[in-house]
Amino acid sequence: MYSTFLLGDAGVQWGDFLFYLIMFIIMLLIVKHFAWGPVTKMMDKRATKISNDIDSAEKARKEAEDLAAKRQTALENSRTEAAGIIDRAKQNGEQQKASIVNAANEEVKTMKANAKKDIQQEKQDALSSVKNDVAELSIEIASKIIQKELTPESQKELVDSYIEGLGKQNGNR
Amino acid sequence: MFDDGSKIVKLFGLSFNVGNCVAGLVTAIIVCAVLIWLSRNLQMKPTGKQNILEWIVDFTNGIVKSAIPDAQGSNYGLFAFVLFVFIFVANQLGLIIQFVIGDVTYVKSPTASPMTTLTLAFMVLVITHLAGVVRFGFKGYFKNSFLSPYPALFPIKLMEQFTNFITLALRLYGNIYAGEVLLKLIFQLAQSHGLLTFIPAIPLELIWQGFSVFIGSIQAYVFVTLTMVYISQKVEKE
Repeated sequence: MYSTFLLGDAGVQWGDFLFYLIMFIIMLLIVKHFAWGPVTKMMDKRATKISNDIDSAEKARKEAEDLAAKRQTALENSRTEAAGIIDRAKQNGEQQKASIVNAANEEVKTMKANAKKDIQQEKQDALSSVKNDVAELSIEIASKIIQKELTPESQKELVDSYIEGLGKQNGNR
Repeated sequence: MFDDGSKIVKLFGLSFNVGNCVAGLVTAIIVCAVLIWLSRNLQMKPTGKQNILEWIVDFTNGIVKSAIPDAQGSNYGLFAFVLFVFIFVANQLGLIIQFVIGDVTYVKSPTASPMTTLTLAFMVLVITHLAGVVRFGFKGYFKNSFLSPYPALFPIKLMEQFTNFITLALRLYGNIYAGEVLLKLIFQLAQSHGLLTFIPAIPLELIWQGFSVFIGSIQAYVFVTLTMVYISQKVEKE
């Protein structure tokens, strides 16, 4: 039996060597199957999940930013649009006002002209009717005068009455 | 002087150290049971025991990554993890229970036996060289491992493989074995002169046990770190 300084008098226990080798390998397999495998799988899964979550959070943030920008532009657009609408309405109002005033002026003018015409007409009519009346009256007077006999007395009477009439008229005044 | 009281059994022409094998088996069972218990009911949001397990995984992955930064490293995560947990539990086992019947020790730290640590170191040695061959092919592996940076360094490089192997095993063995020997010495001191030595031996034993826990953790870490460094020497072009 050989001996070494290290391994004592009993020699090298090759059985131990083999035993440990096999035991370690079996232990390795058991641990791999029951503990290492599931745990590393879970850790990998977690790592991918975390990275996915980070990615999706980034995406969500970007989307939110896009939406905010869109909203901002929409707001600005609507503001300018509103301003445009108000402007247009104002212009329309202005135009309408002008046209209404113009129309009113026009109408007033025509009405004035019509009234003037009417008045003229009335005046003309009145004048013509007065002329007729005067003519008729003069003819009547003339006929009355002619119907009476022209005597000196009657002549005198007539003149007197006429003058009296004049004097009365003057006295009345 | 400090014979473990090992019992050798011959089986199939191989000699087995019963105490060593039983201790190794107990360690392996503890490791498997604890890890399986820790990995039950895994959730996306880790709680309680899952946090512990993930912390250990992260820790060993950190060791691997610091030695092998590229994608190659992910292949050795499991090995580093199991190696670390096994050595850690093995180192602490002897501090918690020492099971002796007659003068035969059945349960102690498996890593306090050179056979165990040599086996682990041998496994590491084989894995490092295999990794090199798988990565670069035999020719590339030989050139990368032994002929770079200068072919003249070949003898030193060759010797380095053996020194790496031996020191890796004996560092762990020496630390743990010395710890156990000192524990036993203090125990013997406690028994030697009755109450006079029994009382002062209690704090001594306490302090040394605490220190051994610390050493056991550090050695597990060192062993795994060096393993990864050796692998990185083989799988990465210098």
